[in-house]
Amino acid sequence: MSGPILAVSNLGVELQRAGKTRRVVDDVGFALAPGEVLGLVGEAGSGKSVLARALVRAISSPLEIVSGKVVFEGKDILSADRRELMAIRGNRIGFIGANPMGSLDPRLSIGSQIVEKLRSVKPGIGRAEAREKVLELFGRVRIPSPDARFHEAPFQFSGGMMQRVMIVDALVSDPSLVIADNITQPLDVTVAAQIIRLIDDLRQSLGTAFLFISSSLPVVAQIAERTLVMQRGRIVEEGRTEDIAANPGQAYTRTLISRIPPIWNNVSAPVATEAEAVLKIDNVTRTYRVRRRNTFNGFNAVKAIRGVSFTVKARENFGIVGESGCGKSTLTRLLAWLEQPDSGCIAFLGKDLSQLSSRSLTEFRKSFQLLLQDPYGSLPANMPVQRMIEEPLLIHGVGKAEAARLAQEAMAEVGLSMEFAERLPVGLSAGQRQRINIARALVLKPQLLILDETLSALDQVEQAELLDLFTRLQATHGFSYVFISHDLALVRRMCHRIAVMYLGRIVELADNATLFEHPHHPYTRALLSAMPTLEDNRFPRSRYLLDGEPPSPIELPSGCSFRSRCPRAQGDCQRIDPPLLVIDGGNAAACLHMHEALTEKETADVE
Amino acid sequence: MFVLSFLLRRLLQGSLIILLVTFIIFTLLRVVPGDPARLIVGGMAPDEVVAVKAKELGLDRPIPVQFVSYLGTLATGDLGTSFVRPKSGASLGGAAFDDQTREERAKVLDLILATLPMTLQLAMVALVIALLVAVPLGTAGGLYPGRWPDKLALALGSLCVSTPNFWLGIVLTLFLSVKLKFLPAIGYRGFSYTILPAIVLAVEIVPFILRTLTVSVAQVMREEFIQLAPIRGLSRSRTIFSHALGNSAIPLINLLGVQLGMLLGGVLVIEFIFDYPGLGLLTINAVLQRDFPLIQGIAIFISVMFVAINILVDLIAMTIDPRLEY
Repeated sequence: MSGPILAVSNLGVELQRAGKTRRVVDDVGFALAPGEVLGLVGEAGSGKSVLARALVRAISSPLEIVSGKVVFEGKDILSADRRELMAIRGNRIGFIGANPMGSLDPRLSIGSQIVEKLRSVKPGIGRAEAREKVLELFGRVRIPSPDARFHEAPFQFSGGMMQRVMIVDALVSDPSLVIADNITQPLDVTVAAQIIRLIDDLRQSLGTAFLFISSSLPVVAQIAERTLVMQRGRIVEEGRTEDIAANPGQAYTRTLISRIPPIWNNVSAPVATEAEAVLKIDNVTRTYRVRRRNTFNGFNAVKAIRGVSFTVKARENFGIVGESGCGKSTLTRLLAWLEQPDSGCIAFLGKDLSQLSSRSLTEFRKSFQLLLQDPYGSLPANMPVQRMIEEPLLIHGVGKAEAARLAQEAMAEVGLSMEFAERLPVGLSAGQRQRINIARALVLKPQLLILDETLSALDQVEQAELLDLFTRLQATHGFSYVFISHDLALVRRMCHRIAVMYLGRIVELADNATLFEHPHHPYTRALLSAMPTLEDNRFPRSRYLLDGEPPSPIELPSGCSFRSRCPRAQGDCQRIDPPLLVIDGGNAAACLHMHEALTEKETADVE
Repeated sequence: MFVLSFLLRRLLQGSLIILLVTFIIFTLLRVVPGDPARLIVGGMAPDEVVAVKAKELGLDRPIPVQFVSYLGTLATGDLGTSFVRPKSGASLGGAAFDDQTREERAKVLDLILATLPMTLQLAMVALVIALLVAVPLGTAGGLYPGRWPDKLALALGSLCVSTPNFWLGIVLTLFLSVKLKFLPAIGYRGFSYTILPAIVLAVEIVPFILRTLTVSVAQVMREEFIQLAPIRGLSRSRTIFSHALGNSAIPLINLLGVQLGMLLGGVLVIEFIFDYPGLGLLTINAVLQRDFPLIQGIAIFISVMFVAINILVDLIAMTIDPRLEY
């Protein structure tokens, strides 16, 4: 075929709200060749998703397509009648969204829903034939045991597996174009890297063209040959992805690139210093009992935390990283003493928290404060901002006038304008809301702040501002921070020492420079290799990236729990469960065959 | 097998609830003023006769002992004997202790079993009428929020919820039965006697179904998988019938479980108004006559039905939505 498969010209979409109209997509034009992967990057709110939906005319009020042409395989989608549109959507053009868990009916099996879709867009296909086709594609996207999983409902899948299911859903009708809207955004780094690798394989074998949309240029750069940069509804730059990354032509593209935090090049990693311990965790475990299905009174033991020990020192930033299900959230609840460990000891300022009376515990709680991820759900909607900040003081018995004074001081310190004092939180941005949360913790004069993904809901600019605030508060008040995060770049920038968790256990604990430059544990290397970067990754995916997903915390592999996915696993890993083995410099890794140094010849060990 | 283990667990929980209800009712009836022995033998009987009767019934023993022996007879399926009702079915028996015309009293279980089918018939007809009206309108209201079906659903719901059932019963009787001679109203001599009270009962249930369905359909229609369906290539009718309705049904089914319980309460008033010979009328008369064994029996029976309905509702909800299997 010659000529573009998709040609968009002068496309405009308007948003009408409260009598005002705003152009969300403005004069957009581009072309896509058959089999090409075209990237589209832009910040949140730049109109990417609206554009993606406008291409398949899935736009409803208050949005409206006001101008332009979307010519797909010679036919203008925007002027096509219903029948013609039905023949294109879901059939010739596949669509994959950012929320795989919500994309299918939660009650029905995924297999039957994909069969239903295939038979609606291609009525000539019989039930058995459709089923064959779906099962074949399940195999191609490497969903384990496709026959059994065909009959399972969406909630029985992990996010990554469900995204594979949605890839099958898009590809099942042999489309010539797939629109992938932010498909890796909700996924863990290693899973996202697997999905991108999978799409790259598939489009080479199937010859399908992809419009690959993401808010992150490094993500797009992994797969797209050409890239469009979108800002406020307009395409501001277009070109080969490598050229855009290396020599951005537009100021906006340069800002986008400058906000990508460096991982290896020109980084000055925070250096750990000696200080007295603030928080000491010693061999803590936590197991949940979960009712087992199909039994009368059976329970499964979910081992969420298995023997975790570490120490956080004064004025230290301690990072805890890991993927979903590694036990980060459970650990957060334990550290904030919202839950008690089954065994082991959590000591704060030398006092074992389990030994305190409830009265002195309440007093003690002032000193360690938890900041949560969701800036919207964590604030009461009907309380004025200043009153919210006074609340913790009033709980701890401070007088009204004194509480008001301290709250105002705290507001000034976190950079909240006094005009918010009497206002309700409605209408405040995510960043301002997190500042309120910080102020609420700050008024109690804590020594330790536990940050559970506190910055992950914020955009890059707000994140950078709050990180500066954290650094400033640390300098004035001498706080220690525990950063619990899945964001390796953030941890690289902020933390002195970092613990990597896998299946409820710390597999590596090292200072920042060692962890990012000479990691010893194969899982740490896998995490780093999965990071999307514009820099040359020091840990190439072909060698380090993992396949599959972590096993269930109910049935852990014998011996080393990482061995089922470990490229370096040997016979003794089946028998011996390695503890954290101390390496020089106070670092430690839980591996029998750990990497010695980066330069070591590893070819023999790797697949 | 999952369903069996679920049933077993729920039945055990249910029996515990029923046991508790039985104990509370049993104790309350014996703590409140009024001597059942005196009631049985009649107001004019001498004290010795009352004492003999009390001893005969075991009422002189401590309450826990009485309760255990009551449970014993309950276990054999015997709910006891009415204080007042004779076997012949008349609602009032003779009063004096030495009245020779006094018949043997009716068994509580027989009384309940005779009236229960009538009430179930009434409840079912009411439910069918309510569903026939509310399901189409509620679904349409949810599909077109803010448009006329939604407004109609809201208006009809408000109208129904603010109509008192006793008033509606009387007005409908006046028009449909007395003036138009369209439907019979008082007593029971055939199926047509069920329709009028069923309509009045249905009016009570309709607003709840309407509201729940409108809200849940509108909510499901905003879900991502419904929004994505046209982009995936599904037609609108297919999306609504095979995906939207099934998901909206779950809150409705849970509501119906509660509603069926409320229906049994509503039956009290309706059956009294229409003199419909069901469980409700039996209950009212039992309370008026202080027929303690009968009240006790009905209470136990209703709690058994509550438990059964709730188990059934959960089972149905689980077959619709596999996520609920817990």
